[in-house]
Amino acid sequence: MPNVNINPDDIMIELRGLKKSFGRQDVLLDVNLDIRRGETMVIIGQSGGGKSVILKHMIGLLQPDHGTVTVDGVTISTPEYFDTHTIRRKMGMLFQMGALFDSMDTGENIAFALREHHPELSEKQIQETVTEKLKMINLVPEFRTKMPSELSGGMRKRVALARAIALNPEILLYDEPTTGLDPITSDVINDLILDMQSKLGVTSVVVTHDMVSAFKVADRIAMLYKGRIIEVGTVEEIKNTTNPFVHQFITGQRKISVEDDSQN
Amino acid sequence: MMIFKRFIAWIGKLIITGIENVGEVVMIFIRTLRHVPHAYKHPNLIVKQMIEIGVSSIPLLFVTSIFTGMVATIQAEFQFRDLVADKFVGTAACKMILIELGPILSALVLAGRVGSALAAEIGSMREKEELDAYTVLGLDPYRYLAMPRFLAFMTMVPCLTIISNCLALIGGWIVCVLALDITTYTYYTGMQYLFQSMDLFAGVIKSFIFGAIIFVLGYYHGLNAGAGARGVGVATMNVVVASCLMILIADFFMAALLFQ
Repeated sequence: MPNVNINPDDIMIELRGLKKSFGRQDVLLDVNLDIRRGETMVIIGQSGGGKSVILKHMIGLLQPDHGTVTVDGVTISTPEYFDTHTIRRKMGMLFQMGALFDSMDTGENIAFALREHHPELSEKQIQETVTEKLKMINLVPEFRTKMPSELSGGMRKRVALARAIALNPEILLYDEPTTGLDPITSDVINDLILDMQSKLGVTSVVVTHDMVSAFKVADRIAMLYKGRIIEVGTVEEIKNTTNPFVHQFITGQRKISVEDDSQN
Repeated sequence: MMIFKRFIAWIGKLIITGIENVGEVVMIFIRTLRHVPHAYKHPNLIVKQMIEIGVSSIPLLFVTSIFTGMVATIQAEFQFRDLVADKFVGTAACKMILIELGPILSALVLAGRVGSALAAEIGSMREKEELDAYTVLGLDPYRYLAMPRFLAFMTMVPCLTIISNCLALIGGWIVCVLALDITTYTYYTGMQYLFQSMDLFAGVIKSFIFGAIIFVLGYYHGLNAGAGARGVGVATMNVVVASCLMILIADFFMAALLFQ
């Protein structure tokens, strides 16, 4: 929801009145959200609630039916805006299942975009960058020869993160980064998200329903409920929320108190 | 009245969906063609696809072509026995194989083998968000996935058709010498009799069109594959059915155009 106290220059991503339907199913009804430069915003909400849809709007993979998406001052949601290339160069995305290119080894996955966007780089420089990115995600350079099929779920996500940061993005989007991982591996990914923010100073948007992860990595948390952002706040504010729907979600209760009251 | 209205609505919806689908197929083709001028920058991607589409299909094509040539020749001999001279067996086999059997057979075999594989690969990549990953990295999937495959289809299908023609003619020769008591010389002179270079060119021209059909339908069905293993399975089945139909329909029109 719009925050009037924030300097517009500090807003990295701005969503206004976002609506999106797929066929007859309304997924987003009216999403308003500001994401500040350099912060880690976590969007929480139920599975299938439209969190990933918001993320895909931010990077231009989806166009809204109504509303605007503005990234670093550029409105990317208008049909007139065709130069998504420039804005995407500022962004990296970690997909839910990694989305590594299966036909390429780990090193090639990381180097591929680098090679295409920076033809001026020598092969030696590209390989050095691959090694540097692998080190940033705490993997040894020998990993470059592994094929995606040889990697575990956690490893795939780490390599996908290395690929996402290969072009030094200013914004990193994480789509369910800890889904399907054990608690220890999830914590490794959480630490990496924090590392990326501290080392690269990126603006991060994390979509998750893993509250342990959300509380660990978030500067602020936004709750998506029935197609709308119903609350935005810091970790402490969200933990102490008076909103019954947010409270229900973060505590993992099946029924919310107001419903319980009505039933009694 | 209500049923009539529903029927009209159903027909209308069917027409709109059909136009949309044709539009999407045309857009895939145009978007792919737009990247062809950049082909020289990606020789590795193209050669890799040429090997997968072309070289890997040779064993299958070898068997089907040899046997088709043998069957065509043996049938020609059976049908014309005691009606025409033996040398016309070679003539009939050569005409049939170069004009129709070679190009059609290669195209149908390739639609089944590589068309379905293309749909399954693209469908699976879409499911695993790999196509989105290309886009997010600022890489156009049409440039890195579609264009190399398109060029591989456009070069390999005609090459495989020529190979198939040769193998089918060899199959015909084998059956003549071993089973029909027709000498190599008779078969060879029969092949030359009535041969026109247009016979060969027409087959090769057709194979270019067939290559484009298999590619564009394979890519289209891959992009529109449903979710999960069933979705990919249905897409592969659809691409084989659609490609075979389109190849046969296109063959009819090209036969009418090229030999009028």
